[in-house]
Amino acid sequence: MVEQQVVIQNRLGLHARACSVFVKEAAKYASHITLAREELEVNGKSILGVMMLAAERGAELIVRAEGADETQALAALVQVVNNKFGEE
Amino acid sequence: MTTLTGIAASPGIGIGPVHVVDAQEVAVHDGQIAPEAVPGEQARFRDAIAACREDVRELREKIALETGEEHARILDTQIAILEDPDAMDQTQASIAREGRGAAFCYRRILSDVAARLEESDDEYYRVRALDIRDVKRRVLHRLGGTESRSLRDLKMPSLIVASDLPPSEMATAPREKILGFLTDLGGRTSHTAIMARARGIPAVVGLKSAMSAAREGAIALVDGTRGIAIFDPDPDTLEEHRRKQRRYEEISAQRGALRGQRCVTKDGLAIHLAANLEVPEELPGIQEHGADGIGLYRTEFFYLSRHTLPTEEAQFHAYRSVVEAMSPQPVVIRTLDVGGDKFASYLGTPVERNPFLGVRGIRFSLKREDIFRTQLRAILRAAAFGNVRVMFPMVIGLEDFRRARDIVEEVHGDLRMEGVPTPEHVPLGVMIETPASVFAIDLLAREADFVSIGTNDLIQYTLAVDRGNEAIAEMYEPLHPAVLRAIRAVVEAGQRHGIRVGICGEMAGEPLYVVLLVGLGLVDFSVSPYLVPEIKTILHSCDSNEAAVLVKECLALGTPSEVRAVVTEFMHRRFPEHFLA
Repeated sequence: MVEQQVVIQNRLGLHARACSVFVKEAAKYASHITLAREELEVNGKSILGVMMLAAERGAELIVRAEGADETQALAALVQVVNNKFGEE
Repeated sequence: MTTLTGIAASPGIGIGPVHVVDAQEVAVHDGQIAPEAVPGEQARFRDAIAACREDVRELREKIALETGEEHARILDTQIAILEDPDAMDQTQASIAREGRGAAFCYRRILSDVAARLEESDDEYYRVRALDIRDVKRRVLHRLGGTESRSLRDLKMPSLIVASDLPPSEMATAPREKILGFLTDLGGRTSHTAIMARARGIPAVVGLKSAMSAAREGAIALVDGTRGIAIFDPDPDTLEEHRRKQRRYEEISAQRGALRGQRCVTKDGLAIHLAANLEVPEELPGIQEHGADGIGLYRTEFFYLSRHTLPTEEAQFHAYRSVVEAMSPQPVVIRTLDVGGDKFASYLGTPVERNPFLGVRGIRFSLKREDIFRTQLRAILRAAAFGNVRVMFPMVIGLEDFRRARDIVEEVHGDLRMEGVPTPEHVPLGVMIETPASVFAIDLLAREADFVSIGTNDLIQYTLAVDRGNEAIAEMYEPLHPAVLRAIRAVVEAGQRHGIRVGICGEMAGEPLYVVLLVGLGLVDFSVSPYLVPEIKTILHSCDSNEAAVLVKECLALGTPSEVRAVVTEFMHRRFPEHFLA
């Protein structure tokens, strides 16, 4: 299992469009992916779960990946967050 | 006739019969199913989800073609919800474990998530709950085999009234059959607001009681520029709005040409015509309507649309993007103005017997210096990227102003020590909205770099009239001689001390009053972005000498109704195309 902390940097936080970009990317990998904020950990491939995190700009989250392609998955997802979900 | 005030979400005027959209919950059978029926029910569920996904994809294509990819993306959320693996797995597991129908199990899962999001203080998340309910309704209809009633089936052009409208409904509504949207819920950033603006349909949201005021088929009107809805209007009101509608359409047609033109009166007096900004989403509208900068950037949005304090970083980025986009034009940022009728529980604003005379505006900031300093750091950092001025609300005299100014200087000093780039000098101003600040204007004008008259509160405090109180609402009169004298006193003090005097609030943006305000000596306006073109066309054909003559006449009159009669007669005579045509 690999994990990395990320900080939400886009203006609107992890809002719906950002959530759908994230889960779309997560779905490309076979690994089990989760996203955690404090005690709440959700399935990184589930938009309903990711929305529940209600992460605003500046929120600190941990991305975890576990499976055959975990390294690639983690790198790709961290990049999605750091690129502000491709929207700014 | 019932008049409701809400949030002006999309400009323009719509008049016509009401169509009430009642988004009823779909009836769901909650009985048990036989164990041998479980695999069939699971398959039926997967098929329903697949079919709905296809429907939403088609809808997305349609929107992409008609209003652009940017708006089509609104539906990506719904597609992702339909593809959500957790919701799929949990529903199928529940069908097997509990022996209940797919509709029952799916509804429960989505309702739980929607309910949790609705609890959020953040408007963005509350809006998402609507997406979830929209998906739920679609899937349940599919499972129940009934086709949902939709705006596509509208027989005649109508004003749509709803508690809130799901994006799929907004998108399928045929443009020529929709005269306007009136919703009880929602804010400026709700789907209804965004889609209505994109499609050029007038809309007012957040009306609270439109559903109870509306009768199916009865005539109503929506003024999306001013945020007003009127049900069962009387003939005069109807006529007035038909005229406003024609005028709005004419001015919209000239908007492109007007945007590039300076705002100057016929005799060459330059007027600074800026816009108010309430939420960051309004920025494109401000640029499109050709405003000269932002005369009132309300910052409450950052604090009231969430459940924790906004960080310095979050505020800095938000201010910076606006300041940069408007540069070199000025952006007047008003520091947090909570209290009165604006609260957030996490801010710890106290329960007060008389909140409008309580911890409001700068009083709150001076009590919660931690919050104030964070905001000032963000503003001063953003000031390095353009032309920023800072304004304090609810100041009653030099003491508040000096305390606020001292804190700004300390924060500015800290930033310099840290090596953070900030401008040499950031002008500090006072919002004139209390009678005390009018009486003490000569003192304030000596030390403040500028002032701006906030008419909404100044009128309410000067006349001691709560305009939300229906019993005395008609006493709330911007043309009251006391209000005109207050404005004149502030303008004269500004001229004596050589500082700018601006005006913001609804009075500033009302076309009927604009000549009078110019006559009172105001040359610095901040109005709703959508009103900029209309005010500009009036000012282009107005002469500052006739404005001065009008003011002289009005100041000699004794009652608000006499002033109103003179101003109305003057404006009708001089600008019949705006007020009578």
